[in-house]
Amino acid sequence: MAAAGRRILIAGIGSHWGTELALRLERDPGVERVIGIDTSPPLADLERTEILEADIRSPVMARLVPSTGADTLVHAGILWYPENDKPARALHDINVIGTLQLLAACERSPSIERVVVRGSAAIYGCEPAGPSFFTEEMARSFPLRTRFQRDIGELEGYFENFARRRPELVCCMLRYQPEIGPGLRLPLARYLSLPAVPTQLGFDPRLQLIHADDATGALLTATMKPIRGAVNIAPNGSISLSRVLRTIGRSQIPVPHQLFGPALTRLGSNLGAGPLYGDAIRLLRYGRGVDNARMRDELGFQPRFDATGAVRDFGRTSPGLRLTPLPGLGSILDRLAGIPR
Amino acid sequence: MSGPPPTAIPEMGARFLRGVRVAVDGGLDPLAAVEVASAELPKSLRDSIERMARRLRGDYHEDEWGFDEEFAEAAYPFFEFLYDRWWRVDATGLENVPSHGRAMLVSNHAGALFPFDASMITAAIMKRHPLPRWPRFMVLDWAFDQPFLSSFMRKVGGIAGSPFNATRILQDDGLMMVFPEGVKGTGKPFAERYRLQRFGRGGFVEIALRTGSPIVPIAVVGSEEIYPNIADASLLARAIGAPFVPITPTFPWLGPLGLIPLPSKWRIEFCDPIEVSGLGPEAADDRRIVFELSEQVREVIQGKLYENLVKRGSAFL
Repeated sequence: MAAAGRRILIAGIGSHWGTELALRLERDPGVERVIGIDTSPPLADLERTEILEADIRSPVMARLVPSTGADTLVHAGILWYPENDKPARALHDINVIGTLQLLAACERSPSIERVVVRGSAAIYGCEPAGPSFFTEEMARSFPLRTRFQRDIGELEGYFENFARRRPELVCCMLRYQPEIGPGLRLPLARYLSLPAVPTQLGFDPRLQLIHADDATGALLTATMKPIRGAVNIAPNGSISLSRVLRTIGRSQIPVPHQLFGPALTRLGSNLGAGPLYGDAIRLLRYGRGVDNARMRDELGFQPRFDATGAVRDFGRTSPGLRLTPLPGLGSILDRLAGIPR
Repeated sequence: MSGPPPTAIPEMGARFLRGVRVAVDGGLDPLAAVEVASAELPKSLRDSIERMARRLRGDYHEDEWGFDEEFAEAAYPFFEFLYDRWWRVDATGLENVPSHGRAMLVSNHAGALFPFDASMITAAIMKRHPLPRWPRFMVLDWAFDQPFLSSFMRKVGGIAGSPFNATRILQDDGLMMVFPEGVKGTGKPFAERYRLQRFGRGGFVEIALRTGSPIVPIAVVGSEEIYPNIADASLLARAIGAPFVPITPTFPWLGPLGLIPLPSKWRIEFCDPIEVSGLGPEAADDRRIVFELSEQVREVIQGKLYENLVKRGSAFL
């Protein structure tokens, strides 16, 4: 395929990742057209992206997608957490039925050559006995335990089927570890921005949080460079939750793990996580690491931040509330040091 | 004894606290204030304050597995005490542990309540090897589901018992310690002490073959007597989801005191390495080779166990 004149269709342009990808594609002279589909408008002013207001769940996709003449479909509309116009009870429909409709529409679009889906590493689960680094072929080696995991498992199943039946298309599933970064107001970032962060007593999970810039960079690379199959998107190394909190200067409130779920579900609505969608409770107990060799070697994407660097950058740039020093600290010190008042 | 005379200590403390006060007033956060004010204190105190502040700021290294070397070093004196004073460990054959490159350490497994064998093998390497390095050891899955135990194990080098983990450690040229007997070794009754159980399905041999890692068999004598397992509370074990709950002469009768291991005398022998790289990685798919090698390792360890039992003589003196 010629490098010039790419026509790229982004499903989920109203998501952070859809908008970010469009912003970067607009700057690329090799991209002839950028088309975005979503029910909600993009999060930034886009110059030359054509916006189609439509719901990816609707059968309209079957007419809309072929009419764009796009050669690449990037599905950035899979949701971990509810958003403004997308409530928690709609997530299953948006994630599973939405993906299914998009794939069905690709079947009727002769111009489509590549499909890229922004999926999740949640398919591996968070397993105390699991490998410390899941590689791409280890999906489903443990039961899918949460609603979100089952949704991801189901849509990956459809996607694999689709890729098998249409071997002439280059189909890529990106499995993202949770993102973190300046300006990213996702529930996990909000959780880490609490003045004192509840953690599970006695557990200190290993995490890989990918920096938002790297998350977008990987999506852009996968859009521009053909790669088949699943690719883990994660930073190098890993970091334990306790060190994350120390690095960003937050204190932790350890809660017995039996109470953590209910406590966080309560908190979840304030954090924007709804009834704590996703696998956050298990993630914050057992952690999860994935192997990113395929991303670095085959996709050829080198993340700018490692696991520690991503957290440092988040700590530098996120204001949030912090516990101020004890109000009486000064006078206590005076008395101890014998300074007369 | 060097250091300031006793009368100077309150004076120094007051100067330090005043320093903290000034720094807090100057707008520093308490941690930074303590650090600034510690300039008043003697060097040893200053160093430990600096170290503590650095840790509280998250400014320390963890490797990609979550191993925290500073944490392991801080926990080490306790294990060193057990090694030197409590169990009076006599370790031999350390030259069989390679100084560089990958190697799989295979040991017998015992010690019903807390198997201390991994920690004592680690201590032997750290104390006695000319080029010590921290080995990684496989931990029963159950432990990673327990509060405190899970994070402690990970920080000192324990990893979950997935073959992919062992393979990755070896590919990165590390020392991987495995206990092929697993729970069958730690949970066996006292009457069967030092009788090796089945070595699983020989999965450790497959990993050694695939990664071309030499196998270093290790015989540990003494670990069986620390918690003599005289009965098994299988109903209780099922109720709390533990792999087994041992009953020893002291546990659970003496409550928490029953957790104190008996001071047996230990011997650890690192045996001659078994080179497998000549067989090539494809040998891992040959069941016959895998079983033969597994049996060979088992026989070496069993033989050395009997040999060291005789050398040790009395179990406790």
